Amino acid sequence: MNDGRVLIVCIGNELAADDGVGRAVYELLLEQPLPDKVRLTFLGLGGIDLLEELAGEELLIVVDGVQLGSPAGTVHRLGWDQLPATSPRPVSGHGIGIREALGVGTILYPERVPQNIYLVGIEGSCFNRLGGGLTAAVARAVPEAVAVIMTLL
Amino acid sequence: MSKTIKIDPVTRIEGHARVLLDCDDNGKVEEAFFCVNELRGFERILVGMQAHTLPQVTARICGVCPTAHHLVAAKALDHAAGVEIPEAARLLREFMYMGHVIHSHALSLFVLAGPDLVFGLTGNAATQNIVGMVAAEPELAGKGLRLRSLGQKINETIGGRGIHPVTAVAGGISFDLSDGQFQRLKELTAEAVGLVKELSGPVKTLLLRLFDDNPQLLDSLNLPTWYLGTVTDDGLLSFYDGRLRVMDEKGTIKTEFASADYRKFLAERTVTNSYAKEVYIDYEGAEHLYRVSTLARLNVVDGIGTPLAQAEFEQFRAKFGRPCHNAVIQMYAKLVELIYACERADQLINNSALRGDNRVPVTFTGGRGVAHIEAPRGTLIHDYEIDEKGIVRAANMIVATQQNTAAINKSIKAGANALFQGGEDEKMLNGLEFVVRCYDPCLACSTHAIGKMALAVEFRENGRITKTIWRG
Repeated sequence: MNDGRVLIVCIGNELAADDGVGRAVYELLLEQPLPDKVRLTFLGLGGIDLLEELAGEELLIVVDGVQLGSPAGTVHRLGWDQLPATSPRPVSGHGIGIREALGVGTILYPERVPQNIYLVGIEGSCFNRLGGGLTAAVARAVPEAVAVIMTLL
Repeated sequence: MSKTIKIDPVTRIEGHARVLLDCDDNGKVEEAFFCVNELRGFERILVGMQAHTLPQVTARICGVCPTAHHLVAAKALDHAAGVEIPEAARLLREFMYMGHVIHSHALSLFVLAGPDLVFGLTGNAATQNIVGMVAAEPELAGKGLRLRSLGQKINETIGGRGIHPVTAVAGGISFDLSDGQFQRLKELTAEAVGLVKELSGPVKTLLLRLFDDNPQLLDSLNLPTWYLGTVTDDGLLSFYDGRLRVMDEKGTIKTEFASADYRKFLAERTVTNSYAKEVYIDYEGAEHLYRVSTLARLNVVDGIGTPLAQAEFEQFRAKFGRPCHNAVIQMYAKLVELIYACERADQLINNSALRGDNRVPVTFTGGRGVAHIEAPRGTLIHDYEIDEKGIVRAANMIVATQQNTAAINKSIKAGANALFQGGEDEKMLNGLEFVVRCYDPCLACSTHAIGKMALAVEFRENGRITKTIWRG
């Protein structure tokens, strides 16, 4: 257990199939009794907006749908060193990842960037269909993702 | 072909975007396609929804330009209901929008284009990236990101929520400006104007250095096309509202039209390599390749209604002419518009009409609602059929990047053959990424799954993929 403040940021778009898993986890977390030290927030996209959420917490947990090549529904718990980089030179605003955003934050506002960072990533299989909600394997993984988050607190 | 490597379906990756190069037997690029892995079915899921939910639902289409969708949806509903919204509502919506444009243009200039500006185009992508740029120029980057953040806070204060605003509604805006909010907006706006004054000189110096150091870009990315953008009744730059002006490749203004008439002038066509439809200007029986976005807007306007932006615009036009056909110059056009957005926000906060009635009652009696807005990346059109119960029966959207795709394809084709000659994959990928970035496309609206590649380049011969390269 650590006694410092914690920020949980869930990311996603609930309209876009498995991209909605961050929202589903957020909603399930809202129903949980969370310690006072925890602040829970939801963002549509990560990227640079993530920096605005940081307020000098000790631990940051980012929750998002991922495509890392595992079976759909796999819950990954990745530390900072294991975070996948997006392209080093993105061609659009969609391409800025957590790593890059926090890298920028570490230089510009080191006092706001947490010491410990985890990504709880839920492997998805469909990210380009609208409506219809999460695929079955991903929907089943939501409670497990919440359980993994609780072990990090 | 010596460049061929084995065909392996596993190497086919799902990226935000692909570039598909069709090569002849000698490896010369015959056709190039920029393919967006875009969301399917958005227009379909709107059917059956309550019309009044559209401003909030459509804002979720895109995490990069949600406020553009939010506001154009509200405008289309105003049109469907046949209402004129109160002056205060119009001004507040525009003010919210200026916040969004400040955010979007600052992100684009300082984060996306920043590394090209600071390091030039020959550097190593592994170190000369966003983080490297911030390390090299912390003051410039810090101020640029602060400006972005101020825009987002203006957007959030009026829009009610940060990324996906909620306050614009059919008939106006559900936001009453309190004294506290007024004070906060005044401070945010004043800081934005101050920052843009400090930043515009250094950024312009970097931009001109990039252009001077890369004269070949000014040639290879020079693509004469027609242009589409919005102007006020006086022919001035406008993002929130106005008439759509069409300019040909020689700089002649061909026509102006209201959004409701877009089908008379814009022809949509489905293409095999992307879910997005290509769009052409249909004028006097002929189809013309055209572009939207910052460069298009600065080509079509006669001037800008704020002093600092107008002064910069005069220098821009004196240096690059009208029309300017070069996609690289888009970055400079963005700086001019960023100055405008800050100054326009300042005009709006000082407009006493900002406080007043901000909503009129709305009833849908059945019919069509069409509106457009200048999204940061170009003209965005929403078109709805709404029945007498207020239910959406059909929807059509034309987004910015879709209108630029045909031009992007042409530029990639031109660039690819030149880049090909060196035979170095890394250099080629750098070059193609740069070409795509110049057009600042909005990709795969709203999905962002971690682990996806930004851009993959596929080579195809006789219909078979022979090679795929991407940054792993």
